[in-house]
Amino acid sequence: MANDRLRALEEVENQIATILQCAGNIVLELSKDKHNASFLDRQLSQFTGSVNRVETELSSQIRYLTQVATGQPHEGSTYSARKDCQMALNRAEYARVKLGELGHTCEVMLDPQP
Amino acid sequence: MANQRALPQSKESLLQNYNKRLKDDIRSILDNLTEIIKTAKVEEETQVSRATQAEQDHYEMHVRAANIVRAGESLMKLVSDLKQFLILNDFPSVNEAISLQNQQLRSLQEECDKKLTSLRDEIAIDLYELEEEYYSSSYSQWDSTDLPLCEAYRRRDSWASPDRDTTSGSAQGGGEETDGQASQETSPKQHLNGHGTTASADMP
Repeated sequence: MANDRLRALEEVENQIATILQCAGNIVLELSKDKHNASFLDRQLSQFTGSVNRVETELSSQIRYLTQVATGQPHEGSTYSARKDCQMALNRAEYARVKLGELGHTCEVMLDPQP
Repeated sequence: MANQRALPQSKESLLQNYNKRLKDDIRSILDNLTEIIKTAKVEEETQVSRATQAEQDHYEMHVRAANIVRAGESLMKLVSDLKQFLILNDFPSVNEAISLQNQQLRSLQEECDKKLTSLRDEIAIDLYELEEEYYSSSYSQWDSTDLPLCEAYRRRDSWASPDRDTTSGSAQGGGEETDGQASQETSPKQHLNGHGTTASADMP
């Protein structure tokens, strides 16, 4: 859910870049002696479409935040689960080390070096 | 401009500020592009000379283009502020992210502990057999107070259950896995304390 909204905002940033690029292409085309009317129309329609999309998306995000935000800091944490998991991994590592020592001892006993 | 953004304290004023910035920037982009296109139109009659009018139009287009770019950058800053606000204040998604992370961490911990438990059970089976082999051979040097695991299990099966409280905890294999583990832990210690190193135990 959070990733969707952040991805939508990433898309809005791309749309803003598209807006500026279309505006630049329009001005560039107008600076020429002979204008390509179809190119101008395409750029203009892309420009207006991007502007509308940006405005709609940002307005909906702000509306959602108005409904959801409380102004208080979030006090949730994953610390306890992370600590438990870390302890479990430490247990597994300790068991691995001890088994390694046991294996080494068995190898030494079975294959005594002169 | 930076001072204006630092002023809003409450959530409502902050979001109203975001709305205002959005409307202003979109309006600025549209108006400036419209004016550029209008200025690009070649007019037959001008109040000043053509060169002056051209120079004025050129400067005006420069300024309006700069305004469009500034409005675009302001929109990018707005998107960045919205992302930050979303990450900090979108409680439903924060709660979901926290619960998902907790779930993943707990499942990893359970899997780890399950594998350790199965490993412990397998090693206990092998240790039982090894001890049975060792203590039934002529190389073993244990007295009646030091019970190997196999002997402890054998006695436990033949005794009634309340009797295990009267004897030492290390001597009893016990019905509990922890007791079994305690005997596994203390028996090697007692063997080591009684007989020195394992090398000495192998000597006939």
